[in-house]
Amino acid sequence: MRIGVYVCHCGINIASVVDVAAVRDYAKTLPDVVLAKDYQYMCSDPGQEMVREDIGEHQLDRVVIAACSPRMHEATFRKVMEKGGINAYYFEEANIREQCSWVHSDREVATEKAKELVAAAVARVHLQESLQEKEASVIPAALIIGGGIAGLTAAKDMAEAGFKVTLLERKPYLGGHVAKWTDTFPNMAKASEFLTPLMELVKTHENVEVLTSGELVDLEGFVGNYQAKVSLSPRYVDETACTRCGKCLEVCPVEVPDEETWGLMERKAIVLPPPPHDPDTAFIDASSCRHFTEEGCNACVSACPEGAISLEAQSEERIIDTGVIIVATGYNLFDPARKPELNYEKLPTVITGPQLERLLDENGPTKGKLVLNGESPKRITFIHCVGSRDHTVGNLYCSRVCCMFTAKQAMMIKGRYPDMRIRVCYMDMRTFCRGCEEFYNAVQGMGIYYTRGMVSEIFPKEGKPVVRFEDTFLEEMMEEPSDWVVLAVGMEPPEGTESLQNLLKLSRSADGFFLEAHPKLRPVDTDTDGIFLAGCCQGPRDIADTVSSAHAAASRASIPLFAGKVAIAPIVAEVDTEVCAGCALCEQVCVYGALKLDEMSKKMTVNEAVCKGCGACSATCPSSAIKLRNFKNHQLLAQIDALCVKSAEISG
Amino acid sequence: MRLEPAMKDVLVIGAGIAGIQASLDMADAGFTVHLVEKEPTIGGHMAQTDKVFPTLDCSSCILTPKMVSVGQHPNIRLYTLSEVTKIDGRAGDFTVEILRHPRYVDESACTGCGACAEACVMKGRIKNAFDMGIGKRGAIYIAFPQAVPLKYAIDPETCLTLSRGKCKKGPPCKLACDADAINFEDTEKTLTVHVGAIVVATGYDPFDPRLKPEYGYGKYPEVLTALEVERLCSASGPTLGEIVVNGKKPSKVFFIHCVGSRDHTVDNLYCSRVCCMFTAKQAHLVKDKVPEAKVTVTYIDIRAFGKGYEEFYERVQSEGIIYRRGVISEVFKKGDKLYVRGEDTFLGETYEEEADMVVLAAGLVQRKGLEVIEALGVQKGDDRFFCGPSPLDPVETGIEGVYLAGCCAGPKDIPDTVVQASGAASRAMTILSREEAA
Ligand SMILES: Cc1cc2nc3c(=O)[nH]c(=O)nc-3n(C[C@H](O)[C@H](O)[C@H](O)COP(=O)(O)OP(=O)(O)OC[C@H]3O[C@@H](n4cnc5c(N)ncnc54)[C@H](O)[C@@H]3O)c2cc1C
Ligand SMILES: Cc1cc2nc3c(=O)[nH]c(=O)nc-3n(C[C@H](O)[C@H](O)[C@H](O)COP(=O)(O)OP(=O)(O)OC[C@H]3O[C@@H](n4cnc5c(N)ncnc54)[C@H](O)[C@@H]3O)c2cc1C
Ligand code: SF4
Ligand code: SF4
Repeated sequence: MRIGVYVCHCGINIASVVDVAAVRDYAKTLPDVVLAKDYQYMCSDPGQEMVREDIGEHQLDRVVIAACSPRMHEATFRKVMEKGGINAYYFEEANIREQCSWVHSDREVATEKAKELVAAAVARVHLQESLQEKEASVIPAALIIGGGIAGLTAAKDMAEAGFKVTLLERKPYLGGHVAKWTDTFPNMAKASEFLTPLMELVKTHENVEVLTSGELVDLEGFVGNYQAKVSLSPRYVDETACTRCGKCLEVCPVEVPDEETWGLMERKAIVLPPPPHDPDTAFIDASSCRHFTEEGCNACVSACPEGAISLEAQSEERIIDTGVIIVATGYNLFDPARKPELNYEKLPTVITGPQLERLLDENGPTKGKLVLNGESPKRITFIHCVGSRDHTVGNLYCSRVCCMFTAKQAMMIKGRYPDMRIRVCYMDMRTFCRGCEEFYNAVQGMGIYYTRGMVSEIFPKEGKPVVRFEDTFLEEMMEEPSDWVVLAVGMEPPEGTESLQNLLKLSRSADGFFLEAHPKLRPVDTDTDGIFLAGCCQGPRDIADTVSSAHAAASRASIPLFAGKVAIAPIVAEVDTEVCAGCALCEQVCVYGALKLDEMSKKMTVNEAVCKGCGACSATCPSSAIKLRNFKNHQLLAQIDALCVKSAEISG
Repeated sequence: MRLEPAMKDVLVIGAGIAGIQASLDMADAGFTVHLVEKEPTIGGHMAQTDKVFPTLDCSSCILTPKMVSVGQHPNIRLYTLSEVTKIDGRAGDFTVEILRHPRYVDESACTGCGACAEACVMKGRIKNAFDMGIGKRGAIYIAFPQAVPLKYAIDPETCLTLSRGKCKKGPPCKLACDADAINFEDTEKTLTVHVGAIVVATGYDPFDPRLKPEYGYGKYPEVLTALEVERLCSASGPTLGEIVVNGKKPSKVFFIHCVGSRDHTVDNLYCSRVCCMFTAKQAHLVKDKVPEAKVTVTYIDIRAFGKGYEEFYERVQSEGIIYRRGVISEVFKKGDKLYVRGEDTFLGETYEEEADMVVLAAGLVQRKGLEVIEALGVQKGDDRFFCGPSPLDPVETGIEGVYLAGCCAGPKDIPDTVVQASGAASRAMTILSREEAA
């Protein structure tokens, strides 16, 4: 065996603490090491070139590079092995930066530790086996979960790139939250101006199939080859026959709180979604429909002049074969009842920002008039950061849009009712989005009172809400009697997030939103290959940032589809069928579902494309029948032994 | 109607993290990318950054693997020291003229050994722009040791041979180069490429704080810009990570937010979106390196809106860093001592305090020299950054086949830049994958 060892300075990152030359000279003394060098930056072009040339010139068959964490450059160096003509896995990286120079300051001790790490890597590289990457073919299709602006935008890109798209939305209509907002900051565009054309484009695109009232219930497979099981609930109304005449609504006996207004209004069990939701034809909400809850009611069926309603429709299940999945499930709004001091449930004119959006909508329940229970306000107080930046409800994060939607709403109201007295209580004005600081400046110029202050409570006085807050400029407690109070509620992960998390094997960050693979450089990727994030399901953001991230998810998701194949990493579990007793203990510990017991032979089998190489199985197997390639016991033990021998030398 | 296959090649202008990300996405998908960068190396501002908020990852540690991937990618043609001089055509079929400035060093021969730089007569005498002028280089140089490509370049303005026709008895750099890579006869070259789509990723310039003379930048050596502080904090920077200002360790440090942002007087109404957070990061780094220093941050609003940012801001506040709300109106000298004058809007009082290091969180402004892109019809907003017809889709320019990535379309942090870069790549790939372009 002919091993080459390279010690990297990493500029001064390593060299200022570790005596690189001493480590290099020590490496020369190790068994089978025929060459040892040190270099400024091993990852640089010349550093790589040196290794490639040495492999040929000195007939190296194993290489150890002592440098940074393998997380940084293992892939870089494996490519160098291949270029040099030896197997990419005849390589070991000793981490003498993160594990040594960055955490120690004593030069002598750090140098000794670096030597140990190199000795251990050399011991292990002796035993490394040659491994081959495999390839799997890819189904050129995408499943997109969530039909808000994020899902729609991603669907448009993927379809235009030539891939089949299934867009799965759990509501009976597309559009998400944006379909409920009337005018949007920063340019006050109407949702119908940009959302309607987008929904039209997606719905009519030959590559797209839209499935509404659908949810993911099971997922099998791996990147490039997923099988997604979805369950589709019926609408009970024939979409092509319904003319939106509304006769059914007249006869429906049910009255329940309307989700569209977060309970501000009531609705029937048969619903006509307001445009621009798409489709805007009627559907029946089975959970409140008397036909299903008490049996017998059939009123709407006979009332419909088109005969569009059928209560016999059944739900169905379908399997969708797809190469990649984009999650675009958006957000839910914070429920202010969780802050009892705001008396949201008790005071009828304490409402939320999203509810106000519906009241400002000219096509909404009040036709754009500010009236509740027959009364219009003269004094409105807005309160920022409700449910955001708030330890008491466990949400430390900023919801990123509420400063701006409040400014937008204040501007709209002042425009329609110039005499309205409007006060806004805020903590910090976060009008950072493009065009938003300018927007905020304009709003301030309209005679709206912005006060920096923390609201402590809302209490009733003669049936009207009074806001108590501390003005941080004047350092005084103030009371603001109001007719209406509007709570700028923040965003939270939508319900169903946990179930998707389990099905898709995703992680979540401390804020509860889905976790990206890397906060800086892989912001829309996840740790599950072939699954990507778009829009607010990864964290709160406005439309512009949502659209941007949806395009991004489409790009990342199309890479394997364009490439037509995915590489399957060879560091996976491997079963010694001679030894395997078929106890199936390992199957239970595998969180990825990569293991299956072959019923015929009673031996465990590994799906190499699903296996992530985590090693949980090999640690579990009582008879060491299942092993993780590149991390086999004898390889690791050799490494550990070498560490012990070297430390014994030093201390002895 | 003319039918022809869309070009499978794509042009990316600018190789900061935005251009790098867009290029890697499209190259991984199998398209050929022509990546044009005006500097001798790729990396942009992220390469200058020490650590990144809020994770405090070392910036170059996460960036250099991407830079290496660009350098090695079989589908990426990298043109450094180059500019796009002309673009004609339309989506699916653009003709692009690229001007390659002379490097005076043969890229295929140079091994990056650095013998030339050691030998250069001007060694250590020229301010290195990469180090914001704090570090010094010679006339033949690389911007930083992990540059990609790792090929030396001669700065014709300071090179004695090129500017005066003579350097010593024979240019020492040429004598020192074993690879015979140095070529003083090198000239400009023009080449033409045909592409189906274009991604603009030209990034930003930092605001020049000399336009706010009341802060004394350029007059008092204790007044620094944030990018200068990035280089001071960097372990591989000109001071090896030591905070030294005017030759000594500071003890009273003031950070000033919103310099050149949210400011009518310099016609920049917009918020630069990153300075609240990079200031929090730098305040943390300075306090970490000089624990005995009193560190004060003065601000208008704290805009800590990204994932983990509010949490980071809380952490920094708990480290004994003082946040004071209100603007600083002036930095001035009384005798040989430096003072800041400010207004504390919590306490409603004005104050004067001594300082021996003042850091200006200078905002982000549009770059100059983008005429070729403007000629293509790409619009600029009131903030002078590129924009499209709708602020709700920041990737689009309104011109089919031309897309925006990163800070050239308005200030943003690295995650938002990377997102937009992938986003621009997505739109570009919808053009590149067309069977036919009419
Ligand atoms: C009051 C208010 C006003 C706003 N005004 C503006 C504004 O003026 N300008 C602006 O830029 N931004 C505004 N925003 C922000 C804007 O609403 C978001 O940026 C945008 O809605 C995010 O889109 P999304 O697609 O990520 O999420 P959503 O709009 O929430 O869409 C997600 C979709 O996924 C579906 N879904 C969820 N879970 C599942 C599941 N498990 N299976 C299938 N489907 C699922 C949902 O039903 C929904 O249709 C406002 C926000 C609020 C709260
Ligand atoms: C002091 C400071 C600290 C920061 N710290 C952080 C942080 O900790 N975390 C974080 O997330 N963000 C941080 N940022 C923001 C970060 O710098 C940007 O998000 C990021 O650099 C933007 O990348 P970009 O590629 O868009 O632009 P740039 O980095 O500016 O890159 C643009 C590239 O294009 C090239 N170019 C320009 N014009 C042309 C042309 N005409 N032809 C060819 N090439 C051209 C340039 O040479 C450059 O290489 C910080 C910013 C500052 C000012
Ligand atoms: S966007 Fe504004 S209102 Fe919303 S949580 Fe953030 S700081 Fe508070
Ligand atoms: S990010 Fe913060 S410091 Fe920068 S301009 Fe905006 S408000 Fe000012």
